[in-house]
Amino acid sequence: MKNLFLMWCKLLLIMASTLPFSALAGPMGFKDSWMSMGDFSPNWREAFVNYAVTPRDAWGMSQTYMRSDDKNLTRDLTEVTYTRLLHRWNAKNSQANLWFIGGLGVVQAHDETLDQGLHQGHGFSETRAIASPGVQFDYETTRVYFATTARLYRAQGTAQKINHDYGSVRAGFSFYEAEYEQTQPWFIVEARRMHALSDKTEITPMLRLINKNYFVEAGVNNSRQARFNFMYIF
Amino acid sequence: MKNLIKLSIFAFILLAGTAHATVQTIKVEVNGMVCAFCAQGIEKKLRAMPQTKDVYVNLKHKVVAVELKDGQTVSFDVVKDLVKDAGYEVSHIETINQPVQEVKASMPKD
Repeated sequence: MKNLFLMWCKLLLIMASTLPFSALAGPMGFKDSWMSMGDFSPNWREAFVNYAVTPRDAWGMSQTYMRSDDKNLTRDLTEVTYTRLLHRWNAKNSQANLWFIGGLGVVQAHDETLDQGLHQGHGFSETRAIASPGVQFDYETTRVYFATTARLYRAQGTAQKINHDYGSVRAGFSFYEAEYEQTQPWFIVEARRMHALSDKTEITPMLRLINKNYFVEAGVNNSRQARFNFMYIF
Repeated sequence: MKNLIKLSIFAFILLAGTAHATVQTIKVEVNGMVCAFCAQGIEKKLRAMPQTKDVYVNLKHKVVAVELKDGQTVSFDVVKDLVKDAGYEVSHIETINQPVQEVKASMPKD
């Protein structure tokens, strides 16, 4: 069983190494470390890198691509990010964290729905300032994991206001406890919603592999779209 | 000749025991250490100390052991601060005369 998971792990690591650096995530690493993260699916692609200037504060950059289910709306965000560990509860056998995650930057919005009928040839496209403050709470032991995130994505537009507020809940369990040097497999289910991009809740069951050097997740959502996430600290 | 051999064996055992006694390992119990990916910061911070010979991390028992190079010392406060920088809290810290490999072997397997 463990050998099978190790093979999975190696396969995912090879996949990760073939992705561009822009495929990176996770709120932040330890002091003086760089954290990179990627979240990839056809409708949501996020690359994020930050540097922890203190054990509780990190500054970084992120690039996010969002697309509606009908593929008519697309958003490209480029942001400077700030991550703050608001509070951490370190217990003997568990850890819980409350994070602030925020970004300020620009969004390039494009709406193909205005490219029809009388509006043909006038597809709406503009670039605006955007703010994306959010909070995340997570709780973890060596066997169970829970996290919930709420984040606003707001911008003022000339044609329309942009509101793609985001919410997600994740929960899962590990198949067994692992030594520090071993890779630990987890089963995680995530439910997330993105305002004005999708009418339905995206549900993604994922296999997560945690190693002391890397963190990868892969799954298929309820729209049969592949999803791949990873984090790396260097 | 026999006495010489006995004396040599005795001297070897005595020296070996003395060498073992000089091993300095700082053993730390860490609260919140539940994930290998997150705990890598502790290992990296402790390995970066010039006095460090080896580091052992046990997630299940929340133990970190830092074996120091011969003749080196590190204050508990330095270790506590490094663990804190990595995002964790030290619940107990002590110096033991065991190399990291012995600490690893002594950990319960269950």
